Amino acid sequence: MSGIDLSVFPARQIRDAIASGEFSAREAADAAYERIDALDSDVHAFLQLTPELAYAAADRIDALRAAGEDLPSLAGVPAGIKDNMNLVGTRTTCASRILGDYESVYDCTAVRRLLDAGALPIGKCNMDEFAFGSSTENSAYGPTRNPWDLDRVPGGSSGGSAAVVAAGMASISLGSDTGGSIRQPGALTGTVGLKPTYGRVSRYGIVAFGSSLDQIGPFGRTVEDVALTLEAIAGEDAMDATSSPEPVERYSEALGIGAKGLRVGVVRDMLAAEGCGEEIRAVVDQAAETFAALGAEVGSVDLPNAKHGLAAYYIIGPAEASSNLARFDGIRYGHRAAEATDVLDLYMRSRAEGFGPESIRRIMLGTYALSAGYYDAYYGQAQKARTRIIEDFRAAFERFDILLTPTTPEVAFRFGEKVDDPYTMYLNDYYTIPVNLAGNCAVSVPSGLCTTTGMPMGLQIIGDYFAESTLLRAAAAFEEATGFDSVPPLVKALGVAKGGE
Amino acid sequence: MAKDRLAEVLARYEAVIGLEIHTEITASATKMFCGCPVAFGGEPNTRVCPVCLGLPGALPVPNQAAIEWTVLAGLATDCDIALASQFHRKQYFYPDMPKDYQISQYDLPFCSGGSLEIEVGDEGGYRTTVGITRIHLEEDTGKMVHVGGSEGRIAGATHSLVDFNRAGTPLMELVTEPDIRTPEEARCFARKLRSIWLALGISDCNMEEGSMRVDANVSIRPRGATELGVKSEVKNMNSFKALHDAVAYEIVRQADVLDGGGRVVQETRHWDAGARRTSGLRSKEEAHDYRYFPEPDMVPFAFDPEWVDSLACRLPELPDARRDRYIAAFGLPKHDAALLSAEYAQACFFEEAVEIAGADRAKQIANWMLGELAARLNADGAEIADTRIRPPMIAEIVALVEDGAISGKQAKDVFAEMAETGDAPGAIVEAAGMKQVSDTAAIEAVAAAVLEANPNEVASYRAGKSGLIGFFVGAVMREMRGQGNPQVVNDVLRRMLEG
Ligand SMILES: [Zn+2]
Repeated sequence: MSGIDLSVFPARQIRDAIASGEFSAREAADAAYERIDALDSDVHAFLQLTPELAYAAADRIDALRAAGEDLPSLAGVPAGIKDNMNLVGTRTTCASRILGDYESVYDCTAVRRLLDAGALPIGKCNMDEFAFGSSTENSAYGPTRNPWDLDRVPGGSSGGSAAVVAAGMASISLGSDTGGSIRQPGALTGTVGLKPTYGRVSRYGIVAFGSSLDQIGPFGRTVEDVALTLEAIAGEDAMDATSSPEPVERYSEALGIGAKGLRVGVVRDMLAAEGCGEEIRAVVDQAAETFAALGAEVGSVDLPNAKHGLAAYYIIGPAEASSNLARFDGIRYGHRAAEATDVLDLYMRSRAEGFGPESIRRIMLGTYALSAGYYDAYYGQAQKARTRIIEDFRAAFERFDILLTPTTPEVAFRFGEKVDDPYTMYLNDYYTIPVNLAGNCAVSVPSGLCTTTGMPMGLQIIGDYFAESTLLRAAAAFEEATGFDSVPPLVKALGVAKGGE
Repeated sequence: MAKDRLAEVLARYEAVIGLEIHTEITASATKMFCGCPVAFGGEPNTRVCPVCLGLPGALPVPNQAAIEWTVLAGLATDCDIALASQFHRKQYFYPDMPKDYQISQYDLPFCSGGSLEIEVGDEGGYRTTVGITRIHLEEDTGKMVHVGGSEGRIAGATHSLVDFNRAGTPLMELVTEPDIRTPEEARCFARKLRSIWLALGISDCNMEEGSMRVDANVSIRPRGATELGVKSEVKNMNSFKALHDAVAYEIVRQADVLDGGGRVVQETRHWDAGARRTSGLRSKEEAHDYRYFPEPDMVPFAFDPEWVDSLACRLPELPDARRDRYIAAFGLPKHDAALLSAEYAQACFFEEAVEIAGADRAKQIANWMLGELAARLNADGAEIADTRIRPPMIAEIVALVEDGAISGKQAKDVFAEMAETGDAPGAIVEAAGMKQVSDTAAIEAVAAAVLEANPNEVASYRAGKSGLIGFFVGAVMREMRGQGNPQVVNDVLRRMLEG
């Protein structure tokens, strides 16, 4: 037994403990795999464990330390990687049968940068197939369970990445967020989840869903871990023409400044949304009070076009996805139907067999929306709505530094509750989607437990373009004031061995 | 097909022809959206990477140089250059296309609204202007090899192989207005365009290897009609002659259909150079819906007008301007000037030789190039770059003749040897002891002996049969093993016979 509890050790302290010789990087990897042995048969957060890669990385860190070299920022920090990011030595399945045996032949830039910062790749995390979903129920390999309540979903699509952090099976993880796929599972699992500004993190090597919406971002138990991880993965990449040359700030160093003087806008009109629970609504009001108490100037703002976000997103996202997923055709890699009469038959059989129902639904939606005669009515209109939403945010950020909304309209739901009703499932992303359409950055921070369900709730803080520094500074102030205990009962029941703090 | 049959058809029908010309930007070191090298052939699937193989997660990064080449092409053909432009995805499934969509351009091509004037026929020909609808940039597909069928065609094949070496090569597509009326105009346009692309250095424009591919949209309508006929798209012409012949065939074929009371079907037809006919491709004619939408992996382009101006400054001398300069500066006949300026490599060769030999010998250089050299290239099926003959050699051979060192006949022998060996003309002349003898005393001695040996012919000549001069010259040259300077021999003989 390593005797290290990742649920109480933040990433920074793991690195420092390794640097000071308190324990080794190998022991940090042990801690992750011990927790996985204890919990992952119930949680099912990992699709693939990669101990060869993790221990090889750990040995490099331990060798650096033995040689007296400086350790990088995430040295020895166990990390989970969503299974839509390429890493040589792993399969990248996107939780789909169609890529069930697909072995990566190159590295995703963000993953490469994470590992260059010294993180240990513990394994590949479960997700909704091709990131289509908000519960991981769409994984072809079975859902991930919420560590706070195994009968409930962890959110999605990055549910596995959220659950590994919540359960202490890794300290940090990478997810991807196209319409809320980091923030929503972050809120549902009591973790911090950040969607960076579009272009802040390279998309090279993440299997594309909605190219104009996707961003890779970190999960952590603390805002500081998220800030450290973002520092490691952000920055321009010659392999991604949409990555930004904007310099990367030292996000982790601005966290202690506090919220004094920040202009905080509560997005008032979105609170009245369909399906938003009383207690969730109260989250935002309490957060507003918290910020006011911290010395922020709190006001109200409306985003009148944000309500069109869901409709626009379910055109643009599927349109791009239908195109991005065309390449999975059974010709060069991935699942190929065994019996086909000609090439068209091969395409149709391979795709029908390889894709799950939600993928097929989105491909159909997107194909239809881009078809001759419908393009203007659907895709064209959606782009107009998107432009309006961008203008709403622009106007709001002239008056405010950050905006507040709930992350989700409700806490984690039970398995099967929404799986047959795509619309209410889609509603789960009501608050997060407008941010992807506009391209801003946003973070979900735990704001406490729901009194009726005992499940975590999340506050969404939205920032201006490339204002991650301000965003994380506000999130850290809120985190400190809230004092959320991020360890789920399931983990507490294991008995806490040796912590930090 | 008989020429008069085409003429007969064109007397009754007007052909309406538009061309779509794809040119690979072989001048680009790398592919359109990745760092793989651009080259022809090679072991299959060796010039590939995650991007041009369409692997999961790979992203395209636009090749700036290829965009510049395309804008240059637009500037050279009088196009408007779009300051706001964008790539789109053109979506259809095919195994030679790794992403199952092609990154191309849709409503915002880099260049549009251009034109090109062509001259049809030699002296006594006519000029006409062909509108250029657009020039856009896209990525080329891979190559399919169908195994087990006939001639590599898909029909009857048991399986197919794909080579992605070509996939992602920058491909420029130029679309003309339907302004072309005859097969000859089509050929002239394609030739002229090729000469411009070569002058710009965009591509090697090798139609055999497919780096330049011309498709023709052909329809006909009764003379005087304004409504367009149903068109067919003819593909697979890998030479200018094939383009001409395929269009001519198609015009007559459509006329036969209409004359027989039939109806032309809109379809794609394949030119079979062996059979000299077009045939319809499996005509499952469903209208393609390519579901174009803006490529989200790249930000739209916003070009600075100054950038376009700076490219305009980079435009080299184009073939027409070059031809006019050859006429003005060197006094070349128009026909020769046009021939030399049409091929960029040939023009460069010519100018380098003139540079060495001097402008006053430009005509002689042109004669050698369009005579001996052209015949040689033709016979070998070679390009000017492939031969061992270099511009300084042509300059030297001209100098040897002009200075009287060798005769014109000797020069031809020297040329032949030079083409074989690549040796310099001077060295060949030296080695063969071929130097022309112009020394009057030496020639006089030989001439005296010849006259003495042929008293009857001398008498006839002096009696008025002056045509016998050729007989005497030949005899002297024979004695001198061909090395006498013919002019001097001639002069000496006349003086001795008449003196
Ligand atoms: Zn490549």
